[in-house]
Amino acid sequence: MAQRAAVVGVGITDATSPRKQTRSHLELCQEAAWAAVEHAGISPAELDGVVVGNIDGFEGTVLGGKHITRLLGLGPHLPMVVLNTGGTTGGNLMQVAARMVRAGTHQRVLCLGGPTFFGVRDLQSAINTNSPMIVEQPLGMGGFHMGAFAASAYQARHGTTVEDLASVVVADHQKAARNPYAHLRYTLTETEVVEGIPLSSPLTQPMVCPVSTSAAAMVVASDDVAAARRTPSALIRAMGTSSDPYLGGGKGDFAVMENLAALARRVYALADVRDPRAEFDVVEVFAPYVHMQPMQLEALGFCGPGEGIDLIRSGATDAGGDLPTNLSGGPKCTNAGVAGELAPYAYTALQVMGDAPEAIQVPGARTGLAHGTGGSFFQFENLAVFSQLTPQEQR
Amino acid sequence: MTSPLTQTVHWDLTYDVHLGNTWGRFMQGLREQKILANTCPDCSRTFVPPQAYCEACFVRTEQWTELPAEGDLEVFTVVWQGFTGGPTPPYAVGGIRLAGADTLLMHVVTGLDFSDPSTVRDQLPHGSRVRAVWAEDRTGQILDISHFEPAG
Amino acid sequence: MSNRVRPGPVHVVGLACTPLLPEQDAVLDELVFDAVSAALAECALRKPDVGLSVLASMDVPDGRSISSGLTTAAAAGYLSDSYRLEADSGSAVAAAAQAVAAGDVEVAIAVGVHNPEHHAEDDAGRRRFLEQLSNLAFEPAFDRPVGMTAQTVYGLQAAHALDSGNVSLDHWAELSAAAITRGAGGRRPGRRGAVTAADVLASAPVVTPLLDLMLPAPVTGASAVVLASPARAARLLGRSAVLTGIGQATGDHTWTGEWLTHPGATTARAAADAYRNAGLADPGTEVDVVELSAPTPALHGPYLAALQLQGLAPDRVCPSGGLASAHAGLANGIIRLLEAVEWLEQHQPRGRAVVHSVDTITGTVSEESTVAVVEGI
Repeated sequence: MAQRAAVVGVGITDATSPRKQTRSHLELCQEAAWAAVEHAGISPAELDGVVVGNIDGFEGTVLGGKHITRLLGLGPHLPMVVLNTGGTTGGNLMQVAARMVRAGTHQRVLCLGGPTFFGVRDLQSAINTNSPMIVEQPLGMGGFHMGAFAASAYQARHGTTVEDLASVVVADHQKAARNPYAHLRYTLTETEVVEGIPLSSPLTQPMVCPVSTSAAAMVVASDDVAAARRTPSALIRAMGTSSDPYLGGGKGDFAVMENLAALARRVYALADVRDPRAEFDVVEVFAPYVHMQPMQLEALGFCGPGEGIDLIRSGATDAGGDLPTNLSGGPKCTNAGVAGELAPYAYTALQVMGDAPEAIQVPGARTGLAHGTGGSFFQFENLAVFSQLTPQEQR
Repeated sequence: MTSPLTQTVHWDLTYDVHLGNTWGRFMQGLREQKILANTCPDCSRTFVPPQAYCEACFVRTEQWTELPAEGDLEVFTVVWQGFTGGPTPPYAVGGIRLAGADTLLMHVVTGLDFSDPSTVRDQLPHGSRVRAVWAEDRTGQILDISHFEPAG
Repeated sequence: MSNRVRPGPVHVVGLACTPLLPEQDAVLDELVFDAVSAALAECALRKPDVGLSVLASMDVPDGRSISSGLTTAAAAGYLSDSYRLEADSGSAVAAAAQAVAAGDVEVAIAVGVHNPEHHAEDDAGRRRFLEQLSNLAFEPAFDRPVGMTAQTVYGLQAAHALDSGNVSLDHWAELSAAAITRGAGGRRPGRRGAVTAADVLASAPVVTPLLDLMLPAPVTGASAVVLASPARAARLLGRSAVLTGIGQATGDHTWTGEWLTHPGATTARAAADAYRNAGLADPGTEVDVVELSAPTPALHGPYLAALQLQGLAPDRVCPSGGLASAHAGLANGIIRLLEAVEWLEQHQPRGRAVVHSVDTITGTVSEESTVAVVEGI
């Protein structure tokens, strides 16, 4: 019979560049997986399944996840399924696991996101293989090139300056400096951002995510399992995904994240969220390129069109503000591929569990919003609402 | 620190990507210096590149039209750092709204002065008129349109 | 182990697949659109009715990374919930069924598509390309450089089985000939015309001891199934079948060797879960027909035993001819379900079928097996 699903364990490794990374892909996954299982307070033998993320072409082995999970020593024949939806893979791992648990056939499912970019020589070249073949791929767009269209359109619509964009970068880095698991932990000034190496107008190097290596894992379990734990879990109250058409040309308006706005309304209705700004204690959005964060905040209903930068500048999204956002530093400071995409979900769950790293924990956080996005021209979006599930709570 | 131990893994994959009838017809149109589009019978949206079906109405598209090879540049970016195997930077890629189309056609845009990155956006403001320039040798691919240039 | 209860039943209300051809002159999303449209038409549902779409496809044969970007809209995913699994479509059926059983959606669709972006003149050419892709799915430092591919794995497993002395090449040739001939006369005629065991033994060696006609017949196409809750299904026309239990398992990797010595173990675990979920105590007497996915005759016996169905009469084992007749890559799982449901409709409307599918990406190494129990109502 149907059940609810909750995140009962999270494991995150620290992050560094591929060049400085001393552990292998497998070792990073092992660390994250075992940490999640331990945090959940279960043994690996109690797992009913594994959902692992993979983005072929960005990694050296097709469906590499198939072998990784066996090598983690999780038990013979444990059913494992490989999910690949590009940039939304990480968050979708949790959504697929949640459906398995909600169906009533699974009690504990492990989600695993590895360091997807670990080993790619030229990531933008790899991402170009995702650019729609035949009609767009020959034009020469990689990840941040596709991302730059929205930045350019947003600037044209609202008169946003590069200094405005730079202020968002400065804020993210200040947050990452307090997160022991973040990759880029240095702070920088607006001038340094503006004067960074130009990549694809208007984006400079400091405005886009780094290539990081780390792993993330999470255990999704039934509410019965969650209730039996001694510390709070993160109930998955509502979730959803949404897709835009494939071609860049199918975007209605590059200056507005229409797909995300539509998804937000649907997920908020499922969660019965009436006033998102007031009801969320903590938010993690997947914004690997600087302009995405203000646009996402607007699409999620936290402020009006063109007001995203002011919202961030006001301090409302800082620790201590009324809408703490990306206290992890976000993907602007750490992006390890599928691990990076699972991170918003992992950190938000940790926040409502009260188990986030001390320096970034929002005191008393009970309701959180996690977001992911990806694919050609960021055609895919996903979203989830978490609520704190204390051990004594009844259904 | 010594370099980490790595093993080189190289994928050498060659594909014959199927075009199907819809894109096949579009590509034939390009060879003939025509930009063809098609339309959804239910919502009347016009697609270029053409689509075999409308994703919203979930029906097969029908009516074909030829669009003018000129339109408004709605958005563009200049690539300063490219990628292995890609075009040599700097180059500009834009989204062009051809008259009558409900989608944007993504293509290469020329006519920009690349000497100062901070000036590029102002050179082609939103909605600038651009026109297609045909390649001399056309073989039925998107680059049969060589690029779009400012149309004064 | 965990304390499981039986999940709610999920109804099969629409099933379809495109023509299965050696190569399709179409873009992948067109094939998906055709299969999905046809399946929806069977139950008179439309795209907005679909609460979740789960697609099974793989980037490398699709020639695009994140190929689901191209196919999601065709799978009814525009502005709604969807996932893409890189697995056989049996896994997509499981995921779609879970969403319905969870009560999260009333209608879900599972889809599989396979049309490698490669042109070849014959099966040898098709296999060369597919095996190149398969090699890329093996561990890069140790397995890949020595030429491990799905085909190689199947050859090794067959050689090991022959060495055990309990099977013979002649018996395998008979199994293959019977399967191919059944498929040739079926509703969905396979690639190959009727053949004899002698024809099989005379076919070209591919991976010793396996010969060409002992390997799957590569075809391309897309398949789709529409699932609904019992409440919703009550008001729908279309197919009348219900999924009562699904189980899945994933096999061990290269170095432990179970893929070689006990290739049925993964299927056995999946079957045990499926039968428990379906409430079957003695499958041998409670199942009327099985649609099996055996990539080679060497796996026919082990899979059948793993499913506990060795006692079924031969005409009840893979009546469609299975993979020897036509193997449409990841679209296979849903095609096996389609064949099983159609067999029930024609022969035993209130009967019970077992549907078995595996992914063949790395052969029996890290093999994912899906077993489903479906009943006619």
